[in-house]
Order: sequence, then structure tokens, then C-alpha cells
Amino acid sequence: MTDTAIPDATAQPAILNRGLGIGRRSPTFAVGLTVVGAFALLAIFADVAAPFGPIETIATAVLQPPGPDHWFGTDGNAMDVFSRVVFGARFAFGIAVPAAILMLLIGVPLGLVAGYQGGIVDEILLRIIDVLRAFPTIVLALAVVAATGQSLINVVLVIGFLDAPIFARLVRSEVLVLRSGGFVKAAVAAGNPTWRILFVHLLPNAIRGATAMIAVRMAWAVRISATLAFIGVGIQAPTPEWGAMIRQGAEYIISGEWWIAAFPGLALVGIVLGFNLLGDGAQDLLDPRRKATGK
Amino acid sequence: MKVGRFLLRRLLLVVPILLGITLLAFMLVRIGDQDPVAMLAGPMATEESIALIKHELGLDRPFWVQFFVYVGNLLHGDLGQSWQASTPVMEEILSRLPASLEILLLSMFFGASVGVPVGVRAAQRPNGIFDQVSRFVSLLGFSVPTYWIALMSIFVVFFLLRWAPPPLGRLSLILLPPPEVTGSYLLDGLMSGNFDVVRSAASHLALPVIIFSVIIAAPIIKHSRAITLEVLSSDYIRYARACGVRPRIVRRIALRNALVPVITFIGTELTGLLAAVSLIELIFAWGGLGQWGLNAILNGDFAAVQGYVLVLAVFSVAVFLVIDLLVLILEPRATLRS
Repeated sequence: MTDTAIPDATAQPAILNRGLGIGRRSPTFAVGLTVVGAFALLAIFADVAAPFGPIETIATAVLQPPGPDHWFGTDGNAMDVFSRVVFGARFAFGIAVPAAILMLLIGVPLGLVAGYQGGIVDEILLRIIDVLRAFPTIVLALAVVAATGQSLINVVLVIGFLDAPIFARLVRSEVLVLRSGGFVKAAVAAGNPTWRILFVHLLPNAIRGATAMIAVRMAWAVRISATLAFIGVGIQAPTPEWGAMIRQGAEYIISGEWWIAAFPGLALVGIVLGFNLLGDGAQDLLDPRRKATGK
Repeated sequence: MKVGRFLLRRLLLVVPILLGITLLAFMLVRIGDQDPVAMLAGPMATEESIALIKHELGLDRPFWVQFFVYVGNLLHGDLGQSWQASTPVMEEILSRLPASLEILLLSMFFGASVGVPVGVRAAQRPNGIFDQVSRFVSLLGFSVPTYWIALMSIFVVFFLLRWAPPPLGRLSLILLPPPEVTGSYLLDGLMSGNFDVVRSAASHLALPVIIFSVIIAAPIIKHSRAITLEVLSSDYIRYARACGVRPRIVRRIALRNALVPVITFIGTELTGLLAAVSLIELIFAWGGLGQWGLNAILNGDFAAVQGYVLVLAVFSVAVFLVIDLLVLILEPRATLRS
């Protein structure tokens, strides 16, 4: 009993201290982590947290304002807005997480290869980035999703592909500096194959900027997917996705039923703000100089 | 002479990017399962009539032939026909662009004239109260969806307070648009001396412009703060301080040096906004370029989508060119060397 209790007792404060340390060095990071964590819990335990089902109609309650029975009111389909907002968290993470993984899986290897090899690969990558940059992402995303059919998977794919160049460019610029470093020359001299140099030697050194960027791009992924749903492509009502819910609520705004659009929007603002704070804080933590110079 | 050569080189660089964008837009509308021919022909169409429409639109030809015909016409200023409205795309764009630019440029003006001073002020005392508050406000501006804040303000300002006119277009329904000179109801009204029109146009513009200015100001605050901080921590400012130059003059030197990167950033932001304004237009039923472009995308109106995308690209290229010229005037060394 006592044997196990002793390491436990020391481990607990150590973790706590570490957590407090991060919180002290970057309150932004801590606040962001708390907000995103809260939404994550909401997504996981949506079944428990929501009093009604996400598309359950309550025949006696159409367009009820917020009250004790329905905290966020009910919408035109007599569905409970609070429950739908809770279930909407699942869509936010369901899009942001796979999209972020996709961005990294495409962008990071591209950046590694382009930065290390240079030449034609690099040139092609840069030109593609040029064209994509001159092309407003919202229009590109909208056109692709409208053209390729309206499913959750297409939305994730489009967001992932559109953002991959950002990570490619970040990693590429790091590799450009690193590739002339002593450790790379040593690795080449020791006879390492190119893939090993790229993924074992360069990757861990070049990934830093990209990791801080992930949360910021996840914020963007949540925003853009909601925007697509609001315009009417991608996820459609009555799916409890926040953008689609705001679209539903938009037609009631002029007649004064504000709650249908207001609450999903608040949730959206909350989670996007959380991800942005997390990203901002991560950049402070990874590069302490940044906070001082504000770069 | 040098300036002329610099401009020429910039313009030449623009050509492949514009071609790439045209190609991308061209492919984009064709990869999907949107079939404008079926929409045009209607549900009762026979195989023959579908083939006929396809032939008339040139869609039965190979992809590359279609593309080169399009680019050929483009050189003559012909962007093709919108199939929905069966009007020339060029005409539609030119008639709608002023409405979008009206919101965009006004918001840009207000957003920049609030954002830059706030960012600069925040950088004077990093992590001070003003800095913390402005940082949070700017993050909030980043995180709030444009369309949602627009809907909420319509509820408050139109439904509750009755201050704003209904969000249905650019002018009160009982008024006739002024004779068109610039396409902006505000300016045209002023020119023709019709102050009812001016008042109505201004009251319709107020809400969308305020909302859009806030959205625009957020990144401007963030970046002008970062740029000012960087300048303030530079060696030459430290040197000036060490020499005992008065703070007011140090600040003036710093601002002069922050000017170029701030202008560059504002320009880069401006390029994306012609697309972003479409959401505001959608909500206020503005009838500008953005709303038209969104509809074109949703309806698979190929020629219109291509034209819309091309206008966006040309707009951003033009903005970049203007910025380059401005920077050239403000700082001749930096640009000509690179």
C-alpha cells in the first residue's frame, strides 16, 4: 500500500507544478486549453449533457424562447436548440481533427522534400502556393464542395488540401536553414539514405513552427466548415452543425426569434477563440523570444 | 527608367499566375457533378436537345480546346455568357462591382484608421492593460464569424431598436437610383444633388460597413502592434534613445519605419476581402459582385464562376501592384534592389 502511495504522492504535484508553470508562462495557452478541453468533453459526453436528441422533435414546442424547459429555446422544427448546440461540438471536432491530420500528412513531407532537394520540386511547390494564395480560400472551398457533392468527407478533404501548402511552406523554410547544418552533413557522410535524413534527422528539428500552427489552422477549419454550411453547401440541416443551424435561424432574425441563430454562433465563437488562444499561447511557449518582441 | 523596368517585370510575373488561376477555375467548375446543360434543358429534355445545347455552349469539345477558346476570347475582353441570366458575364461584373467596392473600401478606410493607431498604441507598453484588452478584442474579431455578427446586429439594430432600415438592398424601395456615374449610390446621389438618395444610401450602408470594419480591424491591430514592437526594439531606435533623443521624436522615427510593413500588410489583407464581402452582401441582400458570385458557384454557372474568380485574382494583382508602387515611393532602396 505505502509502496505505491509514495510515488503517487510525488508524481501528482510534479504534474501539477508543470501545468501551473505553463499556465504562468502563458496564460493564453492555459485559457485556450481549458476552453477547447471543455468543448471536447461536451463532444464526448453529448449524449449525457443534452436533455433531448439532436434531431428529436418536441411536438408541443415550436419556436419557444429560451426558458427553464428549453435553455436555448426551440427552433422552427420544434427541436431543442441547447441539445443541438451540444451535439454540434461533435461536428466541430469531427472536421477540425481529421482536417488537421490531413494538412500535416500532406504538407510536412512536401515541405521536407522541397526544402531538402530544392530544384524542380521546390519550384513547382512554390508556384502552386502562389496560385493558391492568389485564390481566395473561401471561394475555392465553396466551388470544390459545391462541385464534388455535399458530404462531411468532402468538406474535410477540401479543408485539408487547401491548408497543406501553409505547412509545406513553414517546414520548407526551416529545412532550407537546417540542411547546411553539421548534423545533416554528418548524417549524409555516415551513409544514411535520403528518406532517413528527411524523416529522422530533419523532421524533429523542422516541425516546431508547424506544431504551433496546428491549433490556429484548426480554428480556421472550424470557421470555414461552418461558413460553408451557412452558405448552404456541405453539411445540411437538420444536421446539428453550428453553421447549418445559423442558416436555419437566419430567416427568423427579422421576425425577432434570435435564439435559433444566436446560440450556435456563440458556441462557434467560443471554440474558435479557444483554438486561437491555444495557438497563440503555443507560439509563446515554443519561442519565448516572440513574446518579448511580439513577432 | 528603373521604376518602369521594375513595373514591367512585375507585370510579366503576373501573367503566369493569372493563367494558372484561369486554368484552375476552368477545371474547378468542370470536375464536379454539376451539370448546367441538364439544368438549362429542364427535366423534359430529350437526348437530342441536350446534345444540341451542349454543342451550342461548346461543351462537347475537348477540355483544352474549350480552355484555349476561352483564353482567346478573354484577350478580347469577352468573358462568355452567364447561362442563368443569358447576359454577358463582363456586363454583369461591371454593373455589380461598384456596389461591392462601396462597402469594401469604406470598411477598409474605417478599419485601418482605427486598427493602426490601436495597434501602435498597444505596442508602446507591451503587456500593459491597453495591450491586453486590444489583444483580446482583436482575437475576438478573428473568431467571430462575419455572417453571425451581421445577423445579430440586424436583430438588435433593426428589430429591437428600429434604427437601421430593413436589410434588403442598398436603397429604400420608394426611391429611384440616381443617374449612374460611378455606380456608388452615395457618390452618384451627391453628384446629382439628390439628398434623399444620399441619406437612404448612407443609412443602408451604415450597418454592413460598421460590421465589416470591425472584422477588418482585428488583424490590422495584431500586425501593426507586432510591426511597431519590432521597430521599437531595433538597434537604431535603441541607439537613438541612448543618445538622448526626445521620446516624441523617437516615436516619429519608429512610426516612419513601421509605415512600409503596415501598408504592405493592409494591402495583403485587402486582396482577400473582395471575396469575404460576399457573406455580408448575402445577408444584407446587397446585390453586389460577391452575392452574384456565390449564386453562380451554387448554381454551377460555369462562365460566371470563371469570370468571378478572374475578377478576384485581377483585383488582388492590382492591389499588390499599387502597394509596390507605394512602397517604392516611401522606400526606394528596398524594392529596386530586390
